Amino acid sequence: MSDPSSINGGVVVAMVGKDCVAIACDLRLGSQSLGVANNFEKIFHYGHVFLGLSGLATDVTTLSEVFRYKTNLYKLKEERHIEPETFTQLVSSTLYEKRFGPYFTGPVVAGINSKTGKPYIAGFDLIGCIDEAKDFVVSGTASDQLFGMCESLYEPGLEPEDLFETISQALLNAVDRDAISGWGAAVYIITKDKVVKRYLKTRQD
Amino acid sequence: MDIILGIRVKDSVILASSKAVTRGISVLKADDDKTRVLSDHTLMSFTGEPGDSVQFAEYIQANIQLYSIRENCELSPHAASSFIRQELAKSIRSRKPFQVNVLVGGYDTRKESPHLYQIDYLGTKVDLPYAAHGYAGFYTFSLLDHHYRPDMNTSEALKLLKMCIEELERRMPMDFKGVLVKVVDKDGVREIEDF
Amino acid sequence: MAGLSFDNYQRNQYLTCSTNTKAQATSTGTTIVGVKYDGGVVIAADTRSTQGPIVANKNCAKLHKMAPKIWCAGAGTAADTEEVTKLIGSNLELHSLYTSREPRVVAALQMLKQHLFKYQGHVGAYLIVAGVDPTGAHLFSIHAHGSTDVGYYQSLGSGSLAAMAVLESKWKQGLTREEAIELAADAIEAGIWNDLGSGSNVDVCVMEIGKDAQYLRNYRTPNVREPKQQSYKFARGTTGILSERVLDICQVEEQTVDIELEA
Repeated sequence: MSDPSSINGGVVVAMVGKDCVAIACDLRLGSQSLGVANNFEKIFHYGHVFLGLSGLATDVTTLSEVFRYKTNLYKLKEERHIEPETFTQLVSSTLYEKRFGPYFTGPVVAGINSKTGKPYIAGFDLIGCIDEAKDFVVSGTASDQLFGMCESLYEPGLEPEDLFETISQALLNAVDRDAISGWGAAVYIITKDKVVKRYLKTRQD
Repeated sequence: MDIILGIRVKDSVILASSKAVTRGISVLKADDDKTRVLSDHTLMSFTGEPGDSVQFAEYIQANIQLYSIRENCELSPHAASSFIRQELAKSIRSRKPFQVNVLVGGYDTRKESPHLYQIDYLGTKVDLPYAAHGYAGFYTFSLLDHHYRPDMNTSEALKLLKMCIEELERRMPMDFKGVLVKVVDKDGVREIEDF
Repeated sequence: MAGLSFDNYQRNQYLTCSTNTKAQATSTGTTIVGVKYDGGVVIAADTRSTQGPIVANKNCAKLHKMAPKIWCAGAGTAADTEEVTKLIGSNLELHSLYTSREPRVVAALQMLKQHLFKYQGHVGAYLIVAGVDPTGAHLFSIHAHGSTDVGYYQSLGSGSLAAMAVLESKWKQGLTREEAIELAADAIEAGIWNDLGSGSNVDVCVMEIGKDAQYLRNYRTPNVREPKQQSYKFARGTTGILSERVLDICQVEEQTVDIELEA
């Protein structure tokens, strides 16, 4: 067994556009070189906040459940959905709580603040260091490739439909250079009053 | 090198598990049952560290049975699999983790649909049409990828399973003493005699 | 702090036992400096954060506010510098509320070093603490194991050698505010250009006796990216879609109700 964060493989990426955000993931779950499932989604949503989790699959599931629990309690206490900015702090403190025994995940938060209408994305390392970016965040086993793709393809102020093409092409071409990512992809395009989820046509090798 | 395989088809789930128990260079048993019935419509097969696996399986079995006695309600396969995953995810964080991989096959009587879950010792859970643990997957997934259709019936699935087992007998370096095959459908769990 | 949870420690020990790889946490490769001058103190930092050889963020903020007039520059494990300054910052505010006094830099220093010493270097925060309080302007540095230094100028992080070279050659007693800012920024630039772990921009914070602290985010930006000459926008419909679904996310409705107030 090698590095826990690259046993199962997988990537997540998020981008900001004009009054919209996009978040995308691949669908592979593997055990080293063996592909086990092509329906393992790494993006979850809590109200209008979206969370992508790449890394060790067991921790992806565990954390998705932890945040479901925490956001549900938040909703009961506050009588409103959690906002992306608040959720980012929640993710950070939840991960840092396990500073000396971390969950092996690379979370990505994406959403639009329902009050201000401001698009928001953030990334984290495995112990909760927040990386607030105004353009894009990447995470997972093909993060190096994604950095390269996003850095060159991304431009600010894209409309939802153009943002979809840009994030999809960035993801698709990145995972094709990673043996343990790919096997399908899901993209969420988030605008203030509509969320569209699309499954992409991808290579199956 | 235990073999456990599972196939989910239109209205049933089939779990197959090798009958051999080996320790070092010896085969100790040739009619082992590596499955436990969790409830009327849920069956679990398991492999892993010899002590851990049975201990874990029976702990799960007992707790799921306790639940149905207390609540007077059968746990759905999905709920049962979530419980098992949670136990394994907790275990991997403990001083001595359970080294157990399981398959959960079940028929959801409320939704009237069969389900198959693969869960490994880390707590990685996936819902799959066909699944295996250990080396069995390397030999059989290509066959299953090619021949599997979601609308197969039980007898067609058994035929496909037979192909897989024959492949394993041909290619695996060790005699695993055949497989024990159990089917879960709307009528519950039943064993397929002399498969 | 109630204490950090070690729940997963055993598990990870087990998970990583058969490898020599270590999960990569974001670290602020970093150059940070602090310079004292007549009537105040200034701290500065670069804005590059790294994960191994990858630049994770090109414009991150390494200057943390612990109290209105006590600021802290952090190097080392990014999450640790962030969390430790946040934690001690909170306790400092509680302490100042309790004592009805302005927080002192030595108090921050003591709380930070005791926390870091308790964790025996495992909380990887290397800090330069500076600020003004009723006793004057102060400048300190702290290492992850809990040791502290006092001085007229300090530098820390992977670019500390480059920065210190500048500080050693240019610092003198009796600097003015402007001279101190320029010296600090020059020292950071030495790190930006000569250290691989540091880069991008210079952040500065000036704390002058009797004045509010001045946070000068991106005080220097010597690495502005050239705008793209061409667009890589794809024609709509380039990407193949298998299926599409509009998610029904619960809508938040607002309603204004007129309430008649009785006189």
